[in-house]
Order: sequence, then C-alpha cells, then structure tokens
Amino acid sequence: MSDKKPSSQTPVLEIEHLTMQFGGVIAVNDFSMHIDQGEIVALIGPNGAGKTTAFNCVTGVYEPTNGQVLFHGKAIARNHPTGKMKKLYAGLHADKYLADPVRLTPDRITQMGIARTFQNIRLFSGMTVFDNVMLAMHLRRKSNVFSQTLRLNAAEEKQMREKAEKLLKTVDLWEVRDEMATSLPYGRQRLLEISRALATEPTLLLLDEPAAGMNPQETEELSRFIKRIKGQFGLTVFVIEHHMQLVMGISDRIYCIDFGKLIAEGTPVQIQNNPAVIEAYLGGGEDE
Amino acid sequence: MTNPKIKKKDRALTVSWIVVAAVYAAVFAAEQVISPNSMLFTVLKKGATYALVAVSMNLLNGFTGIFSLGQAGFMLLGAYTYAIFTIPLEHRSSVYQYFNGGVVQFTLPWFLAMILAGLVAAFFAWLIGLPVLRLKSDYLAIATLGFAEIIRAILQWNQLGPVTNGSNMLRLFPNFNSFNILKADGSVAVYLSTTVPFLIAGVCIGLIVLLLHSGYGRAFKSIRDDEVAAEAMGVNLAHHKQLAFCISSFFAGVGGAMLAMYQTTVQAKSFTTAMTYEILLMVVIGGVGSVTGSVISSFLFVACSEWWLRFLDNEQFIGDFQVPLLRNGFRLVVFSIIIMVVVLFFRRGIMGTRELPDVIRALPGAVRSLPEKMRARRERRSASRKEAGR
Repeated sequence: MSDKKPSSQTPVLEIEHLTMQFGGVIAVNDFSMHIDQGEIVALIGPNGAGKTTAFNCVTGVYEPTNGQVLFHGKAIARNHPTGKMKKLYAGLHADKYLADPVRLTPDRITQMGIARTFQNIRLFSGMTVFDNVMLAMHLRRKSNVFSQTLRLNAAEEKQMREKAEKLLKTVDLWEVRDEMATSLPYGRQRLLEISRALATEPTLLLLDEPAAGMNPQETEELSRFIKRIKGQFGLTVFVIEHHMQLVMGISDRIYCIDFGKLIAEGTPVQIQNNPAVIEAYLGGGEDE
Repeated sequence: MTNPKIKKKDRALTVSWIVVAAVYAAVFAAEQVISPNSMLFTVLKKGATYALVAVSMNLLNGFTGIFSLGQAGFMLLGAYTYAIFTIPLEHRSSVYQYFNGGVVQFTLPWFLAMILAGLVAAFFAWLIGLPVLRLKSDYLAIATLGFAEIIRAILQWNQLGPVTNGSNMLRLFPNFNSFNILKADGSVAVYLSTTVPFLIAGVCIGLIVLLLHSGYGRAFKSIRDDEVAAEAMGVNLAHHKQLAFCISSFFAGVGGAMLAMYQTTVQAKSFTTAMTYEILLMVVIGGVGSVTGSVISSFLFVACSEWWLRFLDNEQFIGDFQVPLLRNGFRLVVFSIIIMVVVLFFRRGIMGTRELPDVIRALPGAVRSLPEKMRARRERRSASRKEAGR
C-alpha cells in the first residue's frame, strides 16, 4: 500500500473501503468515494446514516476501523482492525490495509490543507470575529513563541492582519470585526465559521450541514456564497447537507448513504430519480 | 487608519500606561518617605510576589483552560533553586551545618539565579506535563496537586541534604533588602527594597500580557473556548498545552524565588496545598481570565490577611466597652466570610474578563451617558404617573 504519486488526474480526496465500527455498531460500512479537483460533491442521507462519522474519519477526529483516506494521493488515514476489533470486526476487506497504519491528528490534517466547519457551530466564544479569523492563520506562522512575545515578528503579524482584513471584507464581516463571535446573528455565525475555515488556506473545504437552521432565502444566499468562494479561493468542496434545495443547486456529483452503506452516486438529476434514494428518504419513515 | 474606535483604544492604552507609571512612582516615593518597618511595605512586597504567581496561574487556568493545582510545587522548586545558588560562600558552612557546607560551592548573581529558578520549574513542568496533560479538568487538578506534594516531600528528603539541606531551613541568601543602595557608613541612601520586586513582577507580568496578545495567546484562548474546534483549525493541542504549562511554571518559579527573597528563609514545609488554594482564590476573586483582576486581588488579599484585618485578632475597646468576639483567630473567620460574599455576589470576580484599558474605555462613556439615563428615567416615571392619573 504505497502512497500514489500525485498527478493531474489524482483526485483531491479518495476514500477507500472506509469502515467505522463502534463496538458492535457499524456506522460507516465499506464506503468508497472520490472528489476531483474543483468539484463540489455532496454527501446526503437520512439522519444517523453515518455522514458526519465519515467526515470525522477524514478530518482525523476518529480513527477508522478499516480502510484508507488519501488526500492528493497521500495517505492521511489508514487502518485495519486491531486489538479487540480483530474479533468484533464485521465489515469487509479486513486484511487489505495491513501495511503501516497512518494516524494523523486533526491539526496535522488541517495543516495539509483540509479545513472544516461543524454541524453545530463551534466558534471561539471568548474571542472577537477578527481574532477568530486570526487564530485560524496561526498554523501558517513561521515565528516561534519567543519572537511573538517580544514582537520580533512585526512584518509577519502585519501581513496576517492584512490577510484577515481582506478575507473579512470579501465575506462582508469586516464591519463587525470587533464584536464577540457568538453575539452575531445565526446566519452570520455560519458565515464566520466558513471564513475561519478559509483562513487556514485549505485546498479542500468540508462543510457539515452549512444550511442547518436556515430559511429558504438564507439558504439561497449560502448557495451563492459557496459557489463564489469556490471560484475565488480555488477550492474543492465536500458538503454534507439535508437541504435538497442547496444540494441540488450547487453539487456536481452526489453520494447518498443509508445505514452507513453507499446506496447511490451520480449527478443531481440521476440522484433525484434514483429509486433507492427515494426509498431511503421516503420509505424508511425518516425525516424530509 | 482613521477609525475612531481604534484611536480611542490607543488613548485608553496610554492612560493605562500612565496609571501603571504613577503606581510605580508612588511606590518609589513612599519607600523614600515612610519608615521601612511600616506594614505597607510588607503588603506591597508580598503582594507583588503573589501578583506574579496569580497571573501565572491565570495564564493556565483562565486563558488556556487547564485546571492545574501544582503552583505551590513549582514555586517551591523556584524558591529552592534560587536559595541554593545564591547563598554566599562564606555562609555555606553555617547554613549547611549538618551536611559539611553542602555540595554547591559557587554562587550565582541573584538575577541569573532567578532565571535559573524559572527554568528549573519549567523543566519539571515539561517532565510531568508529558503524562499529566493528557488528563482533563478535575483529573488534571488532582495529578498536579499530587505532584506538588511529592516535590515537597522529596526536597525534605535527608539523602538530598547536601543540595537541599534536608528539612532544615535555607537562609542568608540575598533578599529584598539587598536591593537598597547603601552609603559608605552603612546607612541606606536610596530605598529600593520594594521598588525592585515591583519591577521584577512588572516585567514578568508584562511578558505574560505580551504573550497573551500574540498569536500563541490567541491559540491558548481557543483551546479554552473549544478544544475540538481549535484542533480542527490547526492548533496542535499537545504542543500548546505543554507550552502554556511550561511558561506558567517558569513564572511560578520566578515568583517562588521572589517569595524566598521576601521571607528571607525557605523551608519546603511551608509550600503547602493551602498556598495553591490561596493563589487560586486570588485568581477567582480577581476574575478568571483577567490579568488586571489577578494583580488587584493579590494586593487586596495580602493586605486583608496581613494588615487590615489584624485588629480583629486583638481585644479592642470603644470607650469602656470591650468589643465581643475579638480574639486571636477571629480575623480568619471574618476573612472567610468576606471571601464567601465575594464568591456569592461577584461570581465573575472583581474584573470579570476585563483589563485596565477596558475599564478606562468604559469610564468616560458611563459618565457621559449618566445624564441621559437619568432623563430617560424621569420621563418614564412622569409618563407612568400620567398613565396612573388617567
């Protein structure tokens, strides 16, 4: 299992046979997908289908039970069932990824260029809007703690402030930069969370239900916003969403999972007419 | 930039600087005028020492969100390091009388010894931080508390006597009075025994404030606010927690050295858990997450416990009437009640999370809006009266 050489055809993100098992429950079951450069790909599925779990495996919050995740051809997570899981494991391909497991912490993965937002907003409540964005730039600094304390990094600091200013002006949050982050209205908090993720200078942006709790008009604005920043920052976007309006409007391709298993993939039109998807959403008595 | 908000901020900063400078000038002037035996200087010296330690604890508990109770242990390490390396050679045989003058046979200047005190404390913090910082909240507090107790026991161990003087006292090292500039005949020309501790504490606290306002300070606060989000934004949790822990302990070590200077003698036995609790109390009373609050509450705390409430310990007479209850130990009862009142009614401490410039910025605004508020209230009242009359 050596890392693949990056080439122009290498997908930005490649998930191979990802399985995540908690005790006896398989949250994500043998899930494979890929995202190419510049795409907006959505992951949909009923509540509890394992979407966020899959996300957490990509961002390093969880260590997958089996399978691997490649980012620009480089492994960021790779594991096979070990310890207690060896006996308990109920998924497939148990002996496919035996070679050296890869376990990166979330901060390392962010450093490599994957940024994310959270399903329930997680802004830094004790910090201003400006500081929230500045914090996200912390990982790209070259100065150490001594030069920062003694203010020997003035040039770098100034450059970062200018960058933060530019970013906040692009997303229309410059006027409220000195407000406490959590005092913003809900929609703008969402916006700030995305901006904060952008400040880490990612190539791949993961959005976990960005439209949750938004009304149709706000959702419409968000769709436009996502398309705009995608072009502006040269991003590839991977989004989990319930709002079909948003998903159908922005995605190039859609993956649909139910009970942890991939049940359909394709363009929005294909997904809309896929009987398995309709079954999952309507037949199971789930929401939507 | 022509933003009025930012201009105002700068003015508040300038005023803060003036306030701080005025305090230093007042301390220096008072020291030259008032008798050095006055209680005032005891309070100021001890207050400066505790202010530094409280701020260092606040850096960890209030700004990084790591609940550690090891402060007394790190102060102990600092105090001993300082004392061991500064006892003059000619006094070593009398201090280490049971250990043939000890093994350390050189003396460092006080300044270097103080930095070394910080470094030793930071080194031990790094060592125990490796396993301990994986723990969360209460468990971390218990582990660090245990560490402080262990250090206290180890330093009193007789086998280490040639270095630590066992359970005996370390003394005769340079103390705060050594900062006074003497005339040729031995009398004091310029008193500096309070000003210099103020300067040391001031420089250290200044460094902590600079750190808190740098990118690393922001990273510390992000860990406090939301660990998961901080990690997702690329903050390396292990590295940053370890860093905050070591820096906090460094300054606790320096504070320990200052405490040694203040006490003029050091004995491991006095660095108890109660000391950590005292410091924690100062942090809480001052406001968790406010450097200014920690400083103010340290001085208030020391002044109350050492000076202002002392009269409660003696019998007092008003005319012929003997005030009841006043006897030795009553001070502590009143003190505890005051603390309970503060904790109950000022739950966020004296300052909350505000700092000196914030207070100054709030001042003119509050004063300016006062007439408006009064007018509004008058109008409201007359309106409701009309309503009632109808």
